[in-house]
Amino acid sequence: MTRREWIALISAAPLLKAAPGPEGTPPAAPVAIAKCASYDEDVTAPLATMFDQLGGLAGIVRGKTVTIKLNMTGSPGLRVDGRPPGVTHYVHPKLVGATAHLMGLAGARRIRFVESAWATSGPLEDYLLDSGWNVRQLLAAAPRVEFENTNALGKGKAYARFQVPGGGYLFPAYDLNRAYEDTDVFVSMAKLKNHATCGVTLSMKNCFGMLPASIYGDDAGVDEPNENPTKGRSKIMHRGARQPSKSAPAELDPASSRDAGYRVPHIVADLVKSRPIDLQIVDGIESIAGGEGPWVRGVRRVQPGVLLAGLNPVSTDAVAAAVMGYDPRAPRGTAPFRTCENTLLLAERVGVGSADLRRIDVRGVPVAGARFRYEA
Amino acid sequence: MMLRTAPGIALLSAMPLLASIAPPSAWVPARWNGANPKSLDLLSGTPINCLLVNSYTPEFVTTAAAHGIATLAVLKPGADPADPARKAARDGLQGVVLEGDFPTGTAARVRDMLADAHAVVVELTSRARMPLGGPDPIVGTYQGVWPGIQVLDNGAAKAAPSGSPWIDTNTGFIRSVRAWGPAAVWLGYLPPAHSVVTGERYQAAIADAEMAGARWIVALDDDFFARLERGDTAAIKNWRGMAQVLQFFEGHPEWRALRSYGKLAVVQDHDDALLSGGILDMIAAKHTPMRAIPGQRLTPEALAGATMAVDVDANSLTPEQREMLKTFARAGGTVLTAPPGWKGQSALQPDQITLDKAELDRLNDIWHDVQTMTGRKNLGARLFNVASMLSNVLSTDDGKQVVVELVNYSAYPIENVSVQVLGTFKHAQLITPEGIQKSLEVYVTDEGGTGVDVERVSACATVRLD
Repeated sequence: MTRREWIALISAAPLLKAAPGPEGTPPAAPVAIAKCASYDEDVTAPLATMFDQLGGLAGIVRGKTVTIKLNMTGSPGLRVDGRPPGVTHYVHPKLVGATAHLMGLAGARRIRFVESAWATSGPLEDYLLDSGWNVRQLLAAAPRVEFENTNALGKGKAYARFQVPGGGYLFPAYDLNRAYEDTDVFVSMAKLKNHATCGVTLSMKNCFGMLPASIYGDDAGVDEPNENPTKGRSKIMHRGARQPSKSAPAELDPASSRDAGYRVPHIVADLVKSRPIDLQIVDGIESIAGGEGPWVRGVRRVQPGVLLAGLNPVSTDAVAAAVMGYDPRAPRGTAPFRTCENTLLLAERVGVGSADLRRIDVRGVPVAGARFRYEA
Repeated sequence: MMLRTAPGIALLSAMPLLASIAPPSAWVPARWNGANPKSLDLLSGTPINCLLVNSYTPEFVTTAAAHGIATLAVLKPGADPADPARKAARDGLQGVVLEGDFPTGTAARVRDMLADAHAVVVELTSRARMPLGGPDPIVGTYQGVWPGIQVLDNGAAKAAPSGSPWIDTNTGFIRSVRAWGPAAVWLGYLPPAHSVVTGERYQAAIADAEMAGARWIVALDDDFFARLERGDTAAIKNWRGMAQVLQFFEGHPEWRALRSYGKLAVVQDHDDALLSGGILDMIAAKHTPMRAIPGQRLTPEALAGATMAVDVDANSLTPEQREMLKTFARAGGTVLTAPPGWKGQSALQPDQITLDKAELDRLNDIWHDVQTMTGRKNLGARLFNVASMLSNVLSTDDGKQVVVELVNYSAYPIENVSVQVLGTFKHAQLITPEGIQKSLEVYVTDEGGTGVDVERVSACATVRLD
C-alpha cells in the first residue's frame, strides 16, 4: 500500500461530494489545510497530501475533462511592489503546474485552464505569458492541457446559459463561455486575499471572473455581445448602471440596490449556485492583504504559508476566512464584510454549502495552526 | 575639498598619457560638477569621454585631454558667448556647448569664429529649435522627460491604455529625431529637482536614450556628485551600475547602425514628433516595433518593408506624399489616417514637450484605431511580461540578425520575459550589462516565428538572434 493509498484509507470514506447536512441544512464537506512556506519549496507534495486527505484525486478526475478557473485579477501589467503577480494577487504558476501534474497522474482526460482575461479576448496563453508564466512548461505538466479565455466567446460557437436554481438573487441566469458547461469537473483555484468590494477573495468570489466582459463588461454590446471587450465589469455588475447585452437575461429587479457591496456578493452567490464548484484550491502561500490587487490603496504583501483544498466552496471559504483570522459568519458591517454582504452566508442561504465551522471537518493542519491574521 | 579616490577605481592620473580625443560623433558626454583633476579618476572604467563644464582650470583641461577626454565649456543665453567661446578655445577645450535658446544666428557666428581653432560648437536648444537634418555631427536639446514609471498620488502606477503602467520616455522623440539624419543625438535634461534619485533611475535615464540610439548627457545631482567625490560606498556602487549600463550600450556601436525591424510605419508631422507621450510612445508601450518617418521625409524607400502605416496628420503631407501612401495601400499595405480636424488648433508652446490633456484625449481616439488595426498581429516582434519595460527591435539590412533591446524602468528585476520575433533564427544570445553572455534556447512559435525566454532582466538586456 502506498503512502497516498494509506492516507486515503484513513481519511474516512472517499468524500467525492459534500455530505448532506441534517434536514434543512446546507451540506458541509471536509477541508484540507497544508503548510508551505514559499514557492521555492516543493508545492506538489503538500498538494498531493491534501487531495489524499479529501479522499483522493483519481475519484474526482479520472477519465474526466477538468476545467480549472484561475484567479488572475486585473491587468498583468499592474504589479504590487513590482513583484511577479503570482506572489501577490494571482495564483502562482507553480501551484497551477503542480495541480495539472497531479491531475494528469490521477488520470484526467483533459485539463483546461480558464480565466476571463482582463480587458481582452485574446488567447489566454498570451495573458499567461504577460504574467510571466511559462506556458510551455504548463503544457508539459500533463497530457492534453488546454487554455481558454472566457472573457468572450473564445473557441466556442455560442454562450452557455446557466439558470440559477431557485430563481437567483440578482439575475435569473447568466450567459458564460461554453468551457464552463463542457466539462465534467469544475475547479476554482483562488488566492487567499481580501477584496475591496466583497471582503475576501476566495474560491467563490473567484467565480465572478467567469462573467464574460463581452456581455457584462463596460463596453459590452447593447444587443449582442461585443467580442472584443477592452474594459472591466464595473458599470453593469458592480454599479448596475446599465444592463448586460440583451442577448443575455436582464436582472430581476432593476430597482434593487445599486451598491456594489450588495450586488457583487449576490451575483457571486448566484454564480456558484448555477455553476457548482466541484473542487476548490486556495493559494495562501504568498499573497496580499488589504485588497485584491495593486489598484487598491494600502495593499501589502503577506506570506501566510498555507494551502487549502476542499469539496464544497462555502465550507472551503469558511475555513479559509477563519485562517485569515475572520469569523466566516460575520454580518455586514463587521470585518471583513464592513461594507458588503457576506457572500458565504448568501451562498449558504441558497443551499450551496455550510459556513458553520462546527460542521466542517478540517484535515491536515488545524485552523489554529495555520492562522495568519490579515488584520491586526 | 579633499578628494579621495574611490575604492576599486583605478587612478586615471596614473595611466600613460597617450590617449587621443575621439571624434565628436563618438563623444559620450557627462556634465561635470567639479574642476579638480583628481575627480577625473571617477571616469576610469567608464566610456564617458566628453565633459561639459561650467568652470574649469587649465590643469583640469590638460589632464582630461591627456587621457582622451574632451572638455566643452557650457555657455548660456544672457550674454554674448563670443568672448567665453574664444577663451575656451584658447584654453585648450575642444569646444563649447550653447545651452538654451540663443538669438538666431548665434551658433553659426560662434562656429565661424572658432573655425580656425577647430573647436566644436554643440547646440542644446529647445526641441522645437533643433537643427534637424543639418550637417552638425551632434544635435541636442536641453529638454526631456525624466524616464520612469509614472506614479499617481496614491502611490499606484498610472495605467496606460493597455492597462500597463505608463512609462515616461524620450524614446519616441529620439526615434523621430534620428529619422532626420545620422547626427549623434544628445539629451541634456537634468534629474528632477528636490527628489531623491536612485541609482536605478539614473540607469533608466541612460538606457532610455541609448536604447533608442541617443545619449543622455549624464548629469548627477549635487549631493550624488559630492558623495562620489568623498568615496561614499553607496554612491560608488550606483556610479558603477550607471557605468555598466553606459558601457553595455557604448560597447556595441553596431546596434546604433541597425534599422527598425518593425513593419509598422508612423508618419508624423514635425511638431508632433517633438513631443513625448505621443503616438510613438503609445505604440512603444505596446512593444510594437515601429519606424518613425517625418512627414517631410516620406518616400517610397522610407516605407519599404512596412505592411502598415499610420498617417497621423494627413494635412501636413504634400499631394505627392499622399499619393505615395495610396500607392502603398494599393500594393497591399494598410493605411490608417487620422480623422480630419483631430489635431488641436493651438500651436505648441516653446517649452512644451508633452501633450496637454485635450490633445491627449484626441490622440486616444487615434490610439484606439491603431490598437484595433495592429491587434495581436506580429509586426516584427511580440514581447510578453514587459509591462514595466520598453523595447527596441532592430535588424541588419539583410534581416539575418535581429537585436531586441529591453530596458526595465521599474526598481525590480523582471523574471520570465518572452520574446517572439518574426522569421526563423537558429541561435539566440542574451547579453546583459552585468557581463552575462549566454545562449538561449530557441523554439518555434505558434505563428512560425522564433521564440526565446529570458529568465531575468535587471536594468536592461539585449537578445541577439542569428
